[in-house]
Amino acid sequence: MSADVKILDGNTFVVSDESGDIEASLTDPTGLFSFDTRFLSRWILTIDGQRLNPLSVDDLQYFETRFFLVPGTGTVYIDAKLSVIRQRAVGGGFHEELTILNHDDKPVDLTVRVEAGCDFADLFEVKDDLKKQGEYYTSVDNGRLVLGYRHETYVRETWVSATEACAVDEGALTFAVHVEPHEQWSTDLHVAIARDATGTTSGRPKYERKTKKARPNMELSLDKWLDDAPSLDCDWDSLKRTYRRSLVDLAALRFSPPSLPGHYLPAAGLPWFMTMFGRDSIFTSLQALPFASELARTTLAALGLWQGSRHDDFRDEDPGRILHEMRFGEMTAFEERPHSPYYGSVDATPLYVVLLDEYERWTGDAKLVRALETHARAALAWIDDYADLQGNGYIAYQRRNEKTGLENQCWKDSWDSISYRDGRLPGFPRATCELQGYAYDAKVRGARLARTVWRDPAFAERLEKEAADLKRRFNRDFWVEDGEYYAIAVEADGSKVDALASNNGHLLWSGIVDKSKAKAVARHLMSPAMYSGWGVRTLAEGQGRYNPIGYHVGTIWPYDNSFIAWGLRRYGFKEEAARIAAGILDAAEFFEGRLPEAFGGYERELTKYPVQYPTSCSPQAWSTGAPLLLLRTMLGLEPSGDDLIVNPALPAGIGRLELLDIPGRWGRRDAFGRGRVDVKSRPRRRAQLGVIKPERKKT
Amino acid sequence: MAKLDKGLLEALAERSRERPITAFNGVVRFDVRDGERVEEWYLTIAKGVVSVSRKGGEPDSVLAGDVATFEAVLSGRANAMAALLRGALDAQGRIVLLTALQRLFPGSPGAEGSPTAGYARRQS
Repeated sequence: MSADVKILDGNTFVVSDESGDIEASLTDPTGLFSFDTRFLSRWILTIDGQRLNPLSVDDLQYFETRFFLVPGTGTVYIDAKLSVIRQRAVGGGFHEELTILNHDDKPVDLTVRVEAGCDFADLFEVKDDLKKQGEYYTSVDNGRLVLGYRHETYVRETWVSATEACAVDEGALTFAVHVEPHEQWSTDLHVAIARDATGTTSGRPKYERKTKKARPNMELSLDKWLDDAPSLDCDWDSLKRTYRRSLVDLAALRFSPPSLPGHYLPAAGLPWFMTMFGRDSIFTSLQALPFASELARTTLAALGLWQGSRHDDFRDEDPGRILHEMRFGEMTAFEERPHSPYYGSVDATPLYVVLLDEYERWTGDAKLVRALETHARAALAWIDDYADLQGNGYIAYQRRNEKTGLENQCWKDSWDSISYRDGRLPGFPRATCELQGYAYDAKVRGARLARTVWRDPAFAERLEKEAADLKRRFNRDFWVEDGEYYAIAVEADGSKVDALASNNGHLLWSGIVDKSKAKAVARHLMSPAMYSGWGVRTLAEGQGRYNPIGYHVGTIWPYDNSFIAWGLRRYGFKEEAARIAAGILDAAEFFEGRLPEAFGGYERELTKYPVQYPTSCSPQAWSTGAPLLLLRTMLGLEPSGDDLIVNPALPAGIGRLELLDIPGRWGRRDAFGRGRVDVKSRPRRRAQLGVIKPERKKT
Repeated sequence: MAKLDKGLLEALAERSRERPITAFNGVVRFDVRDGERVEEWYLTIAKGVVSVSRKGGEPDSVLAGDVATFEAVLSGRANAMAALLRGALDAQGRIVLLTALQRLFPGSPGAEGSPTAGYARRQS
C-alpha cells in the first residue's frame, strides 16, 4: 500500500492512495468502510485508459479531501494540458466531485472511466485474511451500478451513480467527455451505502434522505466543537499545535452508537477500531473530561445500555460486566466472532464507576449519576461476584471463550505482556496489579456517590470498608520486597509475578499505593530502567522480556504515560509528573502533534527522535487524549466541590501557559501557569522542552 | 401453523419484574412472521417492567422476524444483536428501547458464568 489518505465520519471512512484510487486486496485496509464492513474495494479513475498522477493532496477537513491530478504516469515529464480535481467527502457513503480542466487552446474529447467494485469484506477478514461464504451480485438499475453481497438473510449493497450522462456496465461508469479550450467539465459521483446493518429495508442511501451530497452529520460541526473546548495560549508553539491536533482528531474519532443517535463517544482508533470499546472509550473520556465532558456522558449511557445481564460463555458475558468491544460485520452477524458485543475485559467494569464519579466531580450532573445508579451498583457487584476467579478477593481474568475470546483481558493484551522478572509467563487466571487499583478506586468513588447522590450511607460504608481491606491486602500481597515495587500480577497460588512494569504508575493513579511505598514507586518510574527521556517504558529495561520495540514489553505508550503523570501528581510528585509531560509533549512535536499509539523504548540520547511503533492505527483515541490529560496534570486542575483548583507545575521550557474557559460545575474558569520545573534543557536540532536525565537508582 | 410460544414472552416479563430495565417507558411491538402471516405482540414497558399483550397502541419501536428467530433469541439460543446484523431481525423506531429490552433476553443455555461468591462479602 502506498501512502494512504484517510477521511472519516463516525465509523464510516475512506482510505485511498494519493491519487484517490482504491485498489484493495483482501488484506489491505483501503476502501470505503462502514460498520466494520468494506462497501467499496475498487475505485479507479482513468482518462483515455490512463491512470492519473498525483500532484498534491489537500486535507480540507477530517471528512473531506481534494486530490490534484494529471494524466499519465511519467515520472520525468508531465504534459499538463489537462488537470483533474477529485474532491471527496465522506458521510453515509462518499461523494466525489470530479472536475477536468482543459488548459489547451484546442477542444478535447476524452473517455473518462470510473471502475467500481466491492468485496464486502468484514474488517476481521481484512485483518485475518479469511474467505467469504456468500454470493456477490452486480446489476445496472436506473442508470446506477448496484454492487451487492448476499449471505442468507445478510445483505449489503453499494450504489454508484453520477449526475452527468454516462454508460453504466457491471464494472464501471464511462463518460464521453468533450471539453472546450480553457473550459472545464464536471460530474458528481455518488457512492451510497444503500443497505447496511442499520437500515436494511430502507433501500435508499442514507444521505439522499436529506441532502443531495454525502456529507458528515451537521451536528458534528468541527467549529462548534473547537469553540466549546477551552482555548489554549502558550509561548511554546508546539504545544498549541499539539492541542489543536488533539481536539480535531478527537472530533474525528467521535462515534454515535446506533442506540443513541445524535450523541457521541470516542471510538478507539482509525482504521481498525472505529467502534465502541469499553476500556478505550472510558480512558479517552477521562482524559477529555476537562475539555469535552459530553464524551463521558455518552460513553456512560451507551456502556450502561449494553451492560452484561446474563451468562454467555461465547461472549464472556456476566451480569454487571461492561463490554469490551462492539462489532457490526458479517462474522459477528453469523456468530463466528463474539463481538455482539464481546465482554472480555476486566478493567472496563471498575473503570466505569471511576468515570461516573469523575464525571460528576467535573460536571455536577447528579441526574445522570442517579439514572445510572443500578448500572453502577451492578458493576460494583460484578467485581466481587464474578471477577474473583482466584478466590482471594482480587480481580482476575480467564476467558471462557477459548476459541475466539481474548486471552489477556487487561490493557496490555498481547500474549507476552504479563511475565516474571526472568521472563516466565504465569498461568491463568491472572490478577494483574492495576486491576486491583481500579477496583479499589471504584469502591472509594462508588462510596462517595452512594453517600452524596444515592443517599445510601450503609452502602457507602460497606464499600469503604471493602476498599480499605483491599488496600491493606494488596500492599502485602503484591509488594516485591527486594525490588520495592508492585508485582505486575499474582497467580492463583499467591506467587508474585515480579516483573517491573509501568502498571505501577496506574497504581499511583488509583490511590491504592500506601503512602510509605509511593516514593519508591515514583523513583522506579523515573529511573533509567523505566524512563527513556521520552516517557516511561511499559516494561523496565533489564527484565527478562524487555524489548524496546516489544508491543507491551518495552515500548512507550503516550496514553499510559498520561495516567502515570496523573498518578504522580496524586501522590504529590509534581516535578516528576512535569518531566513525563515534557517528554511526551516533546515527542508529539515529531509527529506533528498526533501521538502514535506507542513508540520505541530506546533511550532518548540514543535515537534523538521517538521511533514510532509500526502500527497501522492512527489517530488512536487514547493517544489523542494523552496531551489533554497532560495539560490537566501540568496545570494541576482538580475539582473541589463547586470550585476548580489550579496548582501548576510546568516544565521550565514553557514560559507561560493559559487554558481559558475550562467548563465544569463552576461554569467556566481560566487556568494560568509558568514553567518552573527544570528539565535540564539543552540546545537541539529544534526547540524542545529538553532532555531529562533519569534519576540515578539508589541500590 | 407455528406460533410464538407465549411462555417465552412471559418469562421475559418475569425477568423484568425481578430486575427492571432502568428508567425506560414505552411500547415495543414484536412482529412475528410465519410465512405470510404476522402475529403482533405488544410489550409495554413501564418503569422498566414489561407486560405482554396481543393488543396495544402505537409502538415506539418494532422488532420483526420469523417465529424461529424470535424463539431462538427468547430462549437464549441466538443473540439478538447478531440476528439483527444478519438481517434475521429488523429493528425500527426507538432503537434505544430495543437495546434496553435485549438485556432481558436470556443467556446461552448451559453457560457457566463465573459466580465467585464475593470474597468481600464472605469476609464481612
